[in-house]
Formats: sequence, C-alpha cells, structure tokens
Amino acid sequence: MSRTHRLSSPKGSLLAGLLLALFLAIPTGAWAAGDAAAPETGDWLIRHLSAEPATLNPVTATDVYEGSVNGYIYESLLERDNRTLDLVPLLAETFEISPDRLSYLFTLRDGVTWQNGQPLTSGDVTYTFDRIVDPGVDSPHLKSYFKDLVKVEALDGRTVRFTFSKPYFKSLEMIGGQSIIPKHLFSKGDFNTHPTGRAPLGTGPYRFVKWDTGKEIVLEKNDAYWGEKPNLGRIVFKIITDDNAALNVLKSGEMDLMALNPIQWVRQTETRKFKRMFDKHKYYLPGYRYIGWNSRRPFFEDRMVRRALTMLVDREAILENLLFGFGNIVTGSFFYEGPDYDKAIEPWPYDPKAAAALLDEAGWVDTDDDGVRDKDGVPFRFEFSIVSGVQFHEQLSTVLKEEFSKVGIEMTIRPLEWALFTQVLDDRTYDAVTLGWSLPVEADPYQVWHSSQVESGSNHVGFSNREADRIIEEARVTFDKEARVKLYRRFHRILHEEQPYTFLFVGESLVAIDRRFENVNIYPLGIDTTEWWVPARNQRFK
Amino acid sequence: MNLREYLIRRLLLIIPTFLGITLITFLVIQLAPGDPAAMKLRMGDQGMMGDEVTLQIVEQTKKLYGLDKPIWTRYGIWIKRIVTLDFGTSYKDHRPVFDKIAERLPVTVELNLISIFLVYLIAIPIGVFSAVKQGTMGDRMSTIALFILYSLPNFWVAALLIMFLGGGDFLDWFPVYGITSTGMESQPFLARLFDHFWHLVLPVFCLTYGGFAALSRYQRASMLEVIRQDYIRTARAKGLPEKLVIFKHAMRNSLIPIITLMGYLLPAMFGGSVIIESIFSIPGMGQLGFEAVLSRDYPVVLAIATISAFLTLFGILVSDLLYVWVDPRISYES
Repeated sequence: MSRTHRLSSPKGSLLAGLLLALFLAIPTGAWAAGDAAAPETGDWLIRHLSAEPATLNPVTATDVYEGSVNGYIYESLLERDNRTLDLVPLLAETFEISPDRLSYLFTLRDGVTWQNGQPLTSGDVTYTFDRIVDPGVDSPHLKSYFKDLVKVEALDGRTVRFTFSKPYFKSLEMIGGQSIIPKHLFSKGDFNTHPTGRAPLGTGPYRFVKWDTGKEIVLEKNDAYWGEKPNLGRIVFKIITDDNAALNVLKSGEMDLMALNPIQWVRQTETRKFKRMFDKHKYYLPGYRYIGWNSRRPFFEDRMVRRALTMLVDREAILENLLFGFGNIVTGSFFYEGPDYDKAIEPWPYDPKAAAALLDEAGWVDTDDDGVRDKDGVPFRFEFSIVSGVQFHEQLSTVLKEEFSKVGIEMTIRPLEWALFTQVLDDRTYDAVTLGWSLPVEADPYQVWHSSQVESGSNHVGFSNREADRIIEEARVTFDKEARVKLYRRFHRILHEEQPYTFLFVGESLVAIDRRFENVNIYPLGIDTTEWWVPARNQRFK
Repeated sequence: MNLREYLIRRLLLIIPTFLGITLITFLVIQLAPGDPAAMKLRMGDQGMMGDEVTLQIVEQTKKLYGLDKPIWTRYGIWIKRIVTLDFGTSYKDHRPVFDKIAERLPVTVELNLISIFLVYLIAIPIGVFSAVKQGTMGDRMSTIALFILYSLPNFWVAALLIMFLGGGDFLDWFPVYGITSTGMESQPFLARLFDHFWHLVLPVFCLTYGGFAALSRYQRASMLEVIRQDYIRTARAKGLPEKLVIFKHAMRNSLIPIITLMGYLLPAMFGGSVIIESIFSIPGMGQLGFEAVLSRDYPVVLAIATISAFLTLFGILVSDLLYVWVDPRISYES
C-alpha cells in the first residue's frame, strides 16, 4: 500500500488566509515514483516549524503546528488518497453508510496497536468523540462540527456506529478525519491538562521522543507500526520563528525542508549553491483571498457597484507585483484545482473606464463637485479594514486607495489587530475588508454563503440570494458527486454575477527540499514525507 | 525616621498602589474587545457562529474558563488567587501559568542582565569621558557614533547580522536561533557553556548597542552638572589630583539619575524583548506575553502584568534606598 495523504482534520477549514502558507506543514501525499531503485532506510528529516504548538493533544489543539507534528503520530479512521483525494480506509478496515445517510458503521482494522503495545479498540473511537462533545473539554472548535451527532456506540470491540440527526455530505469526512486518541491514557486524570498532551502517543508511523520547549520536537520511526513502515529514522522539527533566520539555517545545511515565501523564492534562493543543495517545489492548497463588501452599506448594496469595484482592482498587476506571480486569479469560492470550480468563468477584467460607467449608471455621480461621487446625499466614502501587520493587506489597501480615488471614491485604511478584526466581522461593523479562507477539499458553501448565516454566521457580507440558498441546501443532501458538482458550478456562476466578494487569488505554496531525498512527489495537496528515503551513500545522520 | 520605619511605611504603601494597578489592568484586559471562547471556536470554523448550538458551545467554553461570572466576582477570585501566588492555568494549553513563566524567565533574565551590565559598563565611562573632555573632538566623535548606533532599528540590525554572520550565503560565525545547539546535551559542561554564550552573542549585541547613547548622555549631563558645583571647585583648589576629584567626588553624585533608571530595569527584564526574542527564536518572556495578548489568554497576560507591576514598585523602592546611599544629602525624612 502506498502511503496516502492524511485527511486534514475539520480544523482545515479555518478562517484566515494568513494561515494558508502554513498548511503544507500537514504531512501529505505521494505520486508513484519514477525511481526504480529500492528504498533504503535510515537518515533523518529536519523540518521547519515556524511556531511552537500550544499542545499536542489533538482534541484541544487549535493551531496548524499541532497538525504538522501529530500527523505523524496519530491516525484517523479514514484518509485521503494522495492522488485521487478520495476518502479511503486507514484505521478503519471498512465502512458502511445507511441509505438514509444518518448512520455510519466503521469496522476497525485488526492488529493495530498503540505505540505502547496496547491494542486499538472501538472504545478508543467512542472515547475520542465523547471527549469532543464533552462540555468540560476545551474543544469548541471541533464541537461545532459534531452538533448533529446524536450518538457514537461501540457495537463490539471492532465496530463503531455513528448516528446523526440530519444527513450531510460532509459527515463522513468529519468522522473519518478526526485523530483517534488512546482512551487508556487519557481517561486517567483531567483531560484538558493531561500530560499526554505534551507527550503524544498514537498508532501512527512515528513515535514521540521529546519536546524541547522553544527548540525542537523529535519523533522517531515506530518499528511496531501496523502499516507500511516509513524509511526515514527520525523527524526533527526545528522551531524557528523568524523566516530569515530559518532560511539561513536551511542554507547552512542544518535543515532539510522549509516553506518559502515568494520573496525568498525569487530573491534569496536563486543562487547556484542553493540549487545544488535544494529543490524548490510549488503547489496549490485549497483556499483563496478576497475583498468582502458589506452589502448593508448603501455603497455596496447594488451588485453593479460591486462589479464596478472589482473592475477597479487590477488583479493581474497585484498578483505580479505583490505576490511575485505565485498564484492564480479566482472567480469563486471553491478550490481552484477541485471539480466544483468552473474554470470556464472568466474573471471580470480590470477596466476603470467601464467601472466608472457602471458607477454612473448605478446613480453614483459627483453631484456637488467635491470630487467624491454621491447618491441620495450619501458620499462614496468608506473604510477598508485590514489585519494590522499583514504586509499583503497593507500593500493591497494602498493600491486600492489610489485606484478608487481616481474614479471619485474615497477610501480610508483601518488596520485592526486580529482579535478586534474578527469582532468587527462578527458585529458587521465594517464597510469593506480583505481576508482569506482556507478550505477543505470538498467545501460546503453553507457556512459562508447561505442567507441563514447573514445575521451572525460567517456570511458577514450579508449575501442573500434565493437561488443560491436553494442550491446550497440541495447540495448538502446530494450524495452523488457529479450532481453536486453541477449544482456547485451553477452556484459559482451566481457568485460571479453578484460579486459579494471581489475574489482575488489562490496562492501557491512554495517549499524547498534537500536534494538527498528520493521519491519526493508533489500531489494535489502537497508532499508526503513518509514515502521519502535517502540512499545510504548520501545519509547524513545515524 | 530610621531605615526600618521607612521601609515598613513604603512597603505598606505598596499594597494600595498595587491593588489599584491590578484593578486597572484587570479591567483593561477583560474589557478589551475579543472573546477568548469565541476566538477558540473560530479556530475551527467561524461558520457556525451564531446559531443556537454554537452560542451554547461558546457559553460552555466561557464556563470552562470561568468567564461566565460577573466581572467583579472574577476580579475577587483572581485577587484571592494571586495572594497565594496561584496564577491559574493558561487558556491556550491549560498548563499552570506559573510553570510557563518559570520556564521562560531564566533566559530572559540572563539576556537582560548581560546586556544591562554591558550597557552600564560601556556607557558610564563614555559619559564621564565626554563630560570631562566636554567639547573636544573625542566628545563629539563619541556622541556622533553613539547617536548613529541609537538610530539603527534593532530588528534591522538583527536581520543584517543573521544574514551576514549566520551561515547562509556569507560568513558562518554565529548560530542564529535558540540558545543551545542540537545534540549539546551529551557534551562536557564547558563546551555546553561556550555553546550557550556563543548563541547569546548576536541577541545581546542587538539589545545593547542602542542603550549606549541614552545612558551615556544621561551620565554626561549629570556629570557636567556635578563638576560645576562649588565642592568640586574646592576640591580642585585644594590641589587634589584630577583623578580623585572626578572618580571619588564627582562620580558618586552624578550617579543619581542612573539609579533612577535602574528602578525600571527590573520590570523591563521581566517583560523581555518581544522583537529580539522572536527574531532569534528565543523562548523568553517577550514572546510569551506577546502571544498571550494576541490570543486573549487572560491568565497569562494578567500574571505578567501583575508581576511587572510588583517589580516596578519594588524597583522604585530599591532606587530610593540607593539615593540615600550615594547622596548623604537625601534622607528618609522627606
């Protein structure tokens, strides 16, 4: 069995493009190697961690760093195949879904043991999900996914049944993607503060060795692993918070794998010496950046105005100048490389003249000759809220301010700290914002676009469209993938017409990998380090 | 009033001041926008914010954090706890705040002690020198040099140092992150010690160079004031050697402003340097405090603020005591 991409946990859909670049941290996938040589075992992989995880308890942890470490240690019932991205069994041997889509029956693989030799049982599975919904457990970020979960029962030592109150096409992914934790360890003592949160123990291919606070986390190969054993003997995570320092450490050969930012890729890693030591790869991860127009504001309630604003954003130039061309312009909210995204939809062009004409048509003209367009006595003056300290946001807002002022729209920039920014989104007290969403492989637009989410959900721009609502609801209970794709493509078209957001870009993830590793493949969701190996002559660590 | 009475009075005065500070800090932190429970929920998905089940989850989480009670009750509970030095557990990882601070404090204190020591060691002689040689070429050159150093932002200098001296494309002289090398545990003590100090060179440099200007200017100004005094003129007139005049008579009195500064060093040491610690990936107090504020980890923020407040008060007391020591004209009476 070739190792396949570990399903990203439901946490994967978290808000904020800020975190996009970190996603490659999740150990991922493998295309069949063209290399015919037999893999050799040994050597270490030293990779970069740009911040320390708060905890390695997969139920209470909320950061992406936890996922990059625990991805080697804990396993879930299902995983995503690296190539097809289909859900395939991992800890589960088989699974069955009832015709009404309310009940999911999993049979566990036989002979799987925890890294301390104890067998994995259905009790561990029920324990995991019981903790998630337990009010005394600090897991609000997971609880919201399982609110329709009625019960989880162990039918015998190897079978578990999940019952939901409503059918939902993502239920399987949500159950299947959750890391299973050992009951026999966690059940003694307080769950939230349990020492296993700092010394994880799972069923996966690597076992935890040590965590030197602020310095490194070390894992070693689990020799008793039930599945195909990995080749690399150790995985070391070096915690280096500064990007420049990390790049220097990489260049001096003390690290093997690191995510690069565009400027590092373009300016700091083009030397012959670097290319001799490292390979650079890029791939897209699900997600996108956008500008959101609060449709409760008089300026943004008309879709023609929103379209005009989009036409004032020179996305090609911004992509080229600010992101060094690493990315693609998107026109909708689905994963650019996924089936739901309709590539036939052309982005609105950059066309200030046409935009001005659209604004005139919509009634926004400068009636009092003060240089600012107005309508019904309301001048077109608005605030653009950005997350302070995010370079892209600062640069983008400066460009927009200039562009808008040319057509008589006055924009002021309002930088906000993250906690405040999210509160402003929740309270809907902004005019326009820029942000990003990262997505699971199969995204459900309900959370961001359904009109039920306008008041207090994620639909903070206040998008409300009857046809879109109908499509979203229908798709949630459509289990035929093709039918769902068809629905979503129609939905994508509506978004494009309505422009509740100005969709910007899906960014490319960039990584540098030491050249001594063999079988390095780039999959739709990135890399899978568990299938890498190093020929004995090139091995650096024993 | 003797020293003991003075001390007791000052210590008693610390209590209401301290309470006032904690109250304000508590209110400011708790009333700052951003709800830790909602923020944590959002880490998974803000989507389902708003519907009833989600609000219930937020409420559950608030209860778990003790945030369901009214703010005055929370303040009371918190005050009661800090009296026994119990700072609670962090919302982020549920570890005791005390442990988290204890884990990060030593490196911050070490970094700051070394850099403060170096700043004083270098800046005071420079200040004395410029005062004594006021207006000479040497005075002007050192002033210009110090102000150039002062104006270089330390994050920029740090980035340059990392780039040119930390491996990469240029010289590989210094390690650029952390405070020890990997695999050092098995080395002999001296090697470990050397390795550790080698790691501190760049961060200490970045923390130090900017401090020279300010401190040496203070020292210069106060020295200039002192050497114009009558008693110095008298000392000179009596034919005392210049060295004795400067170092014995003038210097001691000129130290008063420097001692005032020292009072604020304690809390500064505890707070750490956010920028330098994050550039050099040093897990110290600066990093801890910064992250805690961003994630609204109230227990950690409050603990740091409380200890800083206490250290500030204590530092002021120590500097007041030192005044009397250096200047006999100051007494406990006033």
